[in-house]
Amino acid sequence: MFLQTVVTGLSIGGIYALMAVGYSLVFSVLSFSNFAHGAVIMLGAYIGLGLVTKLHFGLGLVVSGAMAGAGLIAIVNEKLAYSLLRKRKAPSLYIMISAMGCAVFLENMVYATIGSRFYAFPAFFKQSVLCLFNGTCNIALLDLFAFGISILAILGLHLFLIHTRTGIAIRAGVSDMTMCSLMGVNLDRLISIVFFLAGIFGGAAGVFLGIKYLVYPTMGWVTNKAYIAAVIGGLGSLPGALLGGLILGVLETFVSTYVSSVMRDVFSFGLLIALLVWRPNGLFGRDTGEKV
Amino acid sequence: MRRMLSFALVLVFCLALGGAALAADTIKIGHTVSLTGGASMWGQSEKLALDLLIKKINAQGGVLGKKLELISYDNRNDAVEAVNVARRLVNDGVVAVIGPAQSGNSIATAPVLENAKIPMVVTTATNPYVTIDKRTGKVRPFAFRPCFIDPFQGTVAAKFAYRDLKARTAAILYDVGSDYGQWLAKYFEEAFTKEGGKVVAKEAFRSEELDYRAQLGKMRPLNPDVIFIPTSQKEAAMAAKQARDLGIKARLMGTDNWGSPDLIELGGEAINGGYFVNLTDLADPAIKNFVAEYRKAYGADPVLPNPVMAQDALLMIVDAIKRTKSTDGTKIAAALATTKNLQVTSGPLTIDPKTHDPLDKPAVIQKVDVATKSFPFVKKFYPGGK
Repeated sequence: MFLQTVVTGLSIGGIYALMAVGYSLVFSVLSFSNFAHGAVIMLGAYIGLGLVTKLHFGLGLVVSGAMAGAGLIAIVNEKLAYSLLRKRKAPSLYIMISAMGCAVFLENMVYATIGSRFYAFPAFFKQSVLCLFNGTCNIALLDLFAFGISILAILGLHLFLIHTRTGIAIRAGVSDMTMCSLMGVNLDRLISIVFFLAGIFGGAAGVFLGIKYLVYPTMGWVTNKAYIAAVIGGLGSLPGALLGGLILGVLETFVSTYVSSVMRDVFSFGLLIALLVWRPNGLFGRDTGEKV
Repeated sequence: MRRMLSFALVLVFCLALGGAALAADTIKIGHTVSLTGGASMWGQSEKLALDLLIKKINAQGGVLGKKLELISYDNRNDAVEAVNVARRLVNDGVVAVIGPAQSGNSIATAPVLENAKIPMVVTTATNPYVTIDKRTGKVRPFAFRPCFIDPFQGTVAAKFAYRDLKARTAAILYDVGSDYGQWLAKYFEEAFTKEGGKVVAKEAFRSEELDYRAQLGKMRPLNPDVIFIPTSQKEAAMAAKQARDLGIKARLMGTDNWGSPDLIELGGEAINGGYFVNLTDLADPAIKNFVAEYRKAYGADPVLPNPVMAQDALLMIVDAIKRTKSTDGTKIAAALATTKNLQVTSGPLTIDPKTHDPLDKPAVIQKVDVATKSFPFVKKFYPGGK
């Protein structure tokens, strides 16, 4: 049972991590929490669902299509809802409120256009479960696939930020936005790229969430947990988002297995509060003044 | 300018009064229903079935010489919204209210209508505390229902598991945030233990949660014969998939909330061979005429059981109004409590004056058959039967 608990916890944590990356990326550059990210994830899931049911694409194409689509939606979202506020130097709290508005707006758009019913993805893998150690531990192939993609994507993003010119510009923006623009970096383009990257991760997370669970308009609210994972790891830090996601997933699973499933959130969130009291910036966080 | 404005106001006021006077020629029946949100599939169908019946009653001359008028408001399957809808219906001057369909929303709605002295007949809310006040233990004078209640439903599920499926051990997975699931879990456990079986695990999750693998993983080494999942079709489908992913082979059982056409689409192969308790069945001979009428009018099958239960509720109200020859809420409520042998859409109906629940509503067991995408009828249980 111990091994199964670890495996289950890691697979839940992997999805949290994939979603947490989107929050952390945007926070690292713009210092605000983009609560519309959950809605972008939801739209990514709908795009993936459309690709597979209408166009009968395979898993690879579905994931890439949803990633591209969600990336574009994230850019449009930023251009329409945040960039004007940003240019008027509005406090980041206001941008965050605007983001909450976007989340509710997009969710209700889906209600009004597509409807409130639930959808399931068709099964992608014929034999869906992998048995280990004489059946004492089962892993769904999809979980393995999703976990692998999460780790690879986060690693890829890390390399991108370190080794490419754009990546260096983003990191420069993280430490000082004004200085960065004085050095000739096009800030609007830079921010669009950051949102695109966050959207890409949201799209992948959306498709995995949709396959694993179901697709419906309010599915984006699961990202509350991912946001908490990002805070545990330290908002704005990529390794933090990954580790925070995994820690939260494993912790939750252990509490519900060995303590009580009813008490799960009491325990895991109690620990979260204790952790933040001990390290207010999370595990890998930088010293930032405010965290909204 | 000011004088003109006040003149206009007076004019508007007169028009409004005139409108109200005109509208008094109908008998208004309120309807609180989820037209959007997760339960909208049943809600929409419920409204269509009521529209159909009202048209029929009005074509036959209406009630007490007046036409019936249905006022449906969307409660979005949300307790707060349900209270708002109830207040609006009271302001609109309805004589009785049909709905809500869910226990939580009904329990929230009941006090509002009780204060206004307007009777409510819920459609499929099966929790005992819809018609009984939990604080005082007394029956709520203005709350009624045409459907069976959860202790009966839980008992039927337990008896079927023990006697027909020959299950000796059971596990329960339920939603700790829902009145419906919490109580059904309790009733099932009591009845299954009484039969001689053993509940080896009782695990909960919180509403809106998607992953139950931790809870299911705990059940797996205990190897239960059946897993009882008293949730909506969405959670049941996800739980089924996750259970199969973990290699759990136990039979799955559910309650009337499973009975949605998309259960099979969402759960796929994982939910195949599961059983659930339901209020009515498309193949039930008693509702054959209704199903035919509905198909003819809308070109689709009704999403059971809500449309049938809503028609039953409306027929109960109409019967009570006819018997009292009055549209006074208190009198209608008193008449509803003495409903006896009334022929409603689902069959004959007698209300127990002590509990305001029906005395004679049977439960059906249906099987989930993925190959034919249907829920074939398995067995019928009557109340009081061994």
